[in-house]
This record gives sequence, structure tokens and C-alpha cells, in this order.
Amino acid sequence: MENAGDGTHPGGSFAVSCERISFSYPGSERPALSDISLHVRPGEYVGVAGPNGGGKSTLVRLLNGLLRPDSGGVRVSGRDPATEPFEVRKHLGVLFQNPENGLVAPFVEDDIAFGLENLGVPREEMRDRVAGAVRAVGLEGYERREPSTLSGGEKQRVALAGLLAVDPEILVLDEPTSMLDAAGRREVLEYLGALPAEKTILHVTHHLEELLDADRILLLNDGDLVADETPERFFSDADLLRENRLVLPVVPRLALELGLAPAKLRTPEELAEAILAKTESGTRAG
Amino acid sequence: MTSRSLGQFYPVASPVHALDPRVKILATAVFVVGLFLIDSTVGLLFVAAALMALVAVSRIPAGTFLRLLRPVLFIVALTVLFQVLFSREGATLLEWGFFEVHSGGLRQGFFLALRILLLVSSAGLLTATTAPVALADGLEDLLAPLKRVRFPAHEVAMMMTIALRFIPTLGEEADKITKAQAARGADFSEGGPLRRARTLVPVLVPLTVGAFRRADELADAMESRGYRGGEGRTRYRELRFRKGDALALAVTVLVLLVGVLL
Amino acid sequence: MKLELKDVRYVYAPGTPFEVEALRGVSLVVEPDEVLGIIGGTGSGKSTLAQHMNLLLTPAGGEVLVDGVDAISLEKSELRRRVGLVFQFPESALFAPTVEEDVAFAPRQLGLDEEEVKERVRESLRALGAEELAARSPFALSGGEKRRAAIAGVLAMKPEVLVLDEPTAGLDPATRQDLLALILGLREAGVSVVLVSHDLDEVAEVTDRVCILEEGRVRAVGTPAEVFYQDPTQAPATVRVTSLLKEAKPEIGDPVRFGETLDALRALQEV
Repeated sequence: MENAGDGTHPGGSFAVSCERISFSYPGSERPALSDISLHVRPGEYVGVAGPNGGGKSTLVRLLNGLLRPDSGGVRVSGRDPATEPFEVRKHLGVLFQNPENGLVAPFVEDDIAFGLENLGVPREEMRDRVAGAVRAVGLEGYERREPSTLSGGEKQRVALAGLLAVDPEILVLDEPTSMLDAAGRREVLEYLGALPAEKTILHVTHHLEELLDADRILLLNDGDLVADETPERFFSDADLLRENRLVLPVVPRLALELGLAPAKLRTPEELAEAILAKTESGTRAG
Repeated sequence: MTSRSLGQFYPVASPVHALDPRVKILATAVFVVGLFLIDSTVGLLFVAAALMALVAVSRIPAGTFLRLLRPVLFIVALTVLFQVLFSREGATLLEWGFFEVHSGGLRQGFFLALRILLLVSSAGLLTATTAPVALADGLEDLLAPLKRVRFPAHEVAMMMTIALRFIPTLGEEADKITKAQAARGADFSEGGPLRRARTLVPVLVPLTVGAFRRADELADAMESRGYRGGEGRTRYRELRFRKGDALALAVTVLVLLVGVLL
Repeated sequence: MKLELKDVRYVYAPGTPFEVEALRGVSLVVEPDEVLGIIGGTGSGKSTLAQHMNLLLTPAGGEVLVDGVDAISLEKSELRRRVGLVFQFPESALFAPTVEEDVAFAPRQLGLDEEEVKERVRESLRALGAEELAARSPFALSGGEKRRAAIAGVLAMKPEVLVLDEPTAGLDPATRQDLLALILGLREAGVSVVLVSHDLDEVAEVTDRVCILEEGRVRAVGTPAEVFYQDPTQAPATVRVTSLLKEAKPEIGDPVRFGETLDALRALQEV
């Protein structure tokens, strides 16, 4: 399938399209991204993994226009984020890593309304959309709370609500759980899992188990796009993981070592079942 | 750990709390101007009585309110002392070596002290009955006409809002950094002022750098959410001017008028 | 040294409407040469407890004993030298123009001569694998590098007990593994480590004993196997897997670490 280079392809337009983009931070000797091309179809759930400093966060900022590529082109819903950032940001929302520094207003509901205010949405409509977003992240009753009184997980849910209120088709999640504790991670992942299926999602993370439901996983290391695989193939490739300093969480790692399918076994319960099944069939055959 | 909003706001339900913040800000401004127009002690006393009645209506406990005045007590005492010791007006009440105490000095001292206390009380009442967020909104609205002369009213209000949002956060951060340096042997209690200032460097530097980093991340987040200044923005919070507000403003002007006339 | 907490109580903001009893009588011992894990959710009191170990917080009730002596009677600087504490996200306290200047802060506060200070800085940076960062500005480093510089700064005091509050928070898995290896290395070198963490899997890998804190009280304390097999529903993944197999395959034993769990599971399959 030939790519027309303007964000479209014969099967319909891409939601996100990067054509040979490169970027270096000023004063840095090495490029943060070298000649990267990637295409995301509408509705796809794409994971982005790789060691820290590998280019993942840079990619996020190129997609929403915070950064402009040194060369190559980016298209989001057919538009160039570098020249039309305001338009692009209506269609692409980002959930950032630090729950603290993304909340701007003194109260939860005001913060959720922030994006709507920026879009000039009339007040009546804002009230409905904010209420809906609050419900979507399970924070009813938190409307007049101050951000500094919230837990990390709650703060991220407020940030997510802020995105849902604006309702862009594309959501980019930039390591949304890496600064949270176990309970916070569970909370946030629960609500991320409930996102509508038609949303296009780019999920940047180094917690690989969060990407088990992804359609495919991109691996960025040292500015290069090293791999683009399904979770099954990704998790089973021990060499790939090792070369890129990726560590599987305990359950899939055990599965891999025991010769079982790592991407299919997520929970300890599933792994235990699979082990029992294997030993049963083993003893039956033996 | 819980953290309170900016110190002075006392969250309780009262008619004064419910007033539109713009009216309260305006009333306070009018009040301050009026205070300087009143030139009789009786006038000031009348206005003071009215203010005390207002404090009672606002349901703020007397103790809490008086605590607001504590920082100024020193200046007040100094002013009174100055007047008492150096004024030569009126009948002589006391003589002690070089110093003479005259009735005029006492009267003047009392007058000035009362004025200072009323000034601080009115500002204190404003911040005690108005949530910081409401203050920012009220200010933004009142300053809005200045946009015509290029005054960045929206930006000023946005800055206030962000500052209010981050004060508790920065407070916690300062606390944490102080403890971290104490854990490395920093001692903040010993030495003279110069020594102590130097020991603050390991706290102030990371706090400042951290604040700049926060500002960067926040700016990125705001931009990512479509922020591009005040143009075309609507506002979620609403300020509605009601009958009670007009009444409050009128009463304020009236009280001051009476005070001036007295 | 033996660090002991006896029935420690702590209350935040006493006498105000925001009063919170964070610790309600915690008794715990940190033995010499061990890695002690302290786990618990938000609100369990873990960080509050950590700050009592070097008396950054003083108990409202109970006592903190260092080798049997009440810590309050000790010279503060002495106590904080012997019990080092690294906060969560410690890099926020980096302040000097270069990493070596920053790491030198604690040794200098101890009054050591410049030669000794330089030696300590070198050693600490080496222990953290951060020697090449010495001349760089701490503000220009990556997250993982900053973390290492911050920990080196506390290690330079040569504490007998090192308390780490969520040392791997926000790090990628590979850097996390490096830090865990460091913890084991410290134990080898005779430093006791108290690892405060919410991550059960990492606690499973490096600790000799584990203490579970819940709402300001000790819910359980013992070896990882003892504590985790007692309640396998709130245990590291390894224990959760093996406990599910125990009924059918009791020969599996009580492995906790990844390596031993893998061996046990392999043995099952070979039968």
C-alpha cells in the first residue's frame, strides 16, 4: 500500500501520520528522533515502548505541536501540528506523566472545564460536558476539591476528565501511570480501559503489561523505530526485549521462561491455570 | 496530608460571603478612600461600629478576626507612641524630663491608630469572606475595561489563579526539600543571620529550579489543552450581580458619607 | 546497629480540624545487615514511619532506640549521619552547580577534611555507577541519573542504616533493576537497608524481612515467605502464582523471588 505522503492512504486517511521525521534538542549532540515514519489508523490502539531517553516523549510533543520537527512531516487528522496547533489540539489530546503539573485551576471542576473554556464553548454546554466527564472518571462529589488534596491517581483522573470533556478523537497517553503508586495505577488503568473503542489511542509506557490490549506496539530506542509488532510477537521476543533494556513484568516473564504464551497470560490466575494444564497433559502423555 | 487554601479565607455561610466579589472589592476600595476623607474621631468611631456589625454578620469569630490584626499591632503601637511623645498640641498631661504628653497627642495617636486598624480590618474582611478564586474572578472583571488600554487583565487573573492553585503544592515542596537537606546534615537553626542565609541556599535553589520546571510543564499542558491567551475564551465560573449587591454598595457609601459628615 | 521503634505514635496537625493519627503504636526492629521491606498503601503511614528513623519527625508517643539508647538523647547530626534517609523523588533536592559538589554537601556538613570529602564523593558515585556524572550540572541530567546523584549524596555520609522511600518511583524497569542490585550490594557491604515501597514484586526480590503497615499499625512482620503466604491475595505475583498451585502441587514449597519461583515451576513441569 503506497502512502501518498499527505496523511492519506488508499484505505482512508490516517489519524496520525509521521513521514521521516527527525528532531534534535538544541545543544544536544544526538538526535532525539532519527528519520521516523509511522502511521496510525483511526480507532487503532498503538503502544509505544522503549527505554527512557529513547524518543517517546519527543514524539508526543511533535504530534501535538509543542515541538516542530527539524525535517519530515507530521499529519494529525490531515493537519500539520506545527502550523495549525490550535486546530490539531481539538482532535488530539494528551495525558501527561506528571499528575501535579497538568492541573491549572484551584478546583477540580474548573480544571476539567479549562479545555472547554479555551475552545470558547458556551457556559451552559460546558456545565453538561464537565458533569459528563466527572461521571466518566468516577469523581462525583469531587467537583469542589482542591488539586493539592487529591491522590496521584485522582489527579490523573481529573486530567483525563479534562480531556474527555473536550472529546478529541485521538488520545495520546504519555506514561500516565509512571509516577503513581500501585493503587493509583490500577485506578487510572481502569478508566483508560473504559475508553470508547472508536478512539484512536497512542499509549506511551514502559509498563509493558499495560499494552496487552494494543493492536500493535512500536519500540523506540535511541531515536530509532526499532520494532512494530503485535503484543504476542513483542512479548515472546526475548532478544528484542533484552537488547532494548525492556523488562517484562513477572507473570509474562515466568510464562516466557516456561515456554508458555506470554501475551495471553496476564494474571497469576491465568498463569497458574496454564501451568496446571501443561503438567496435566504432561503426566497424561508420560 | 491535607493542606488548606490560602490562609485568611474563612469558609462559612453568611450574607457577606454570598456577596458578589466585585462588589466587595469595590466596597473595600471605596471604604479605604473614605477613611482618608474622614477627619473626625467620632466619624471614625461610627464607621468602626458599622464595620464591627459587618464582621458579626459575616459569622467570622471575633478571635479569628482579631488574629488578622496581629501583624499590624506593632506599627499601630509605634504610631501612637510617636504621636504621644512628640505632639505638643492641647493641654499638658504629663511631664517627664524631655518628654511631654499632651492631650492633643493622645487624641491624634488614637485617631491614626484607629484609621490603620480600620484599613487593615477592611482588607482582612475582604479576604476572609471571599474565596481566593472569587477574588481573582472579581478582579479580572473589574480590570476588564482596562483591556482597551492594553492592560493584560485576563493574564493577571490567570496568574493569580495559577498562583493560588500552586501555593499549597509549593509549600509542601519547600517542606520536603528542607527535610531532605536536614537529613543530609543541614542545620537551619544555628549561626547568625548571614550564616543562616547561606544554609537556605540548598532549599531556595532547588525550590526555584523546581518552580521553573513546573511552570514549563504547566505551560506545555495548558497549550496542549488549547490555551492561547484570553481571546475567544469563555468562562466556566459565573459572577452574578444581584439586588443584595447593589444594596451593600449603597450602604457602604452611605456609612462613609455619615462618617465624613460627623 | 540495631534500630528499634517501640510503640511509636504520631499525629499530624494535632488540635486542629485537620488532625490525623498517622502512626498508632508501631513497634519494629531493623537488624544489622538486613534489607527490611516496609509495604503499605497510601495512608498506611510508611513515609511517616521512615521519617522517624532519623528523627526528622519526633514521636508523639513511644520511642526510637539506636542500639538501646533513646535517639532523642543523641546529637542530631550524629543520628542523621548514622541513619541516612532518601526521600521519594529525591532529585528535587539537588542544588549544587555540579554533581560532585552536591554529593560533597553531606560529608562537608560532617566537618570532614577535603581529602576525605573527595574520597567519599568518588566512592559514592562509583557505588551508584555515576562516576561520569561528577562534573555535570545536576539540573541537566536525565531522571535516572538525577536519582542516582541524589542517592549518592546520602550514601556519602556512610550511614549504618539507609532508609529509602520509594527509590524506584518513576524509573523505567531497567534502571529499577540496577537500583535493586545496588540495594543488595549495600547489604553485602554491611549497610542495613530499609526499603519503603508499594511495589510488592520489587520487595520480593531484595528483602530479608518484610513489614506490612496498614492504617498506622503493623499488620504483619516476618520473612517474605511467612508474610506473603499468609495472605496470598495481597502478595507479589510470584507468590500469587505458586499459592494457586499449592493445592494441586504441594511440593512447590514457598518460593518468593523470581529465580527460585521459576526453578520450582520448572521442576513441576519436569515431573
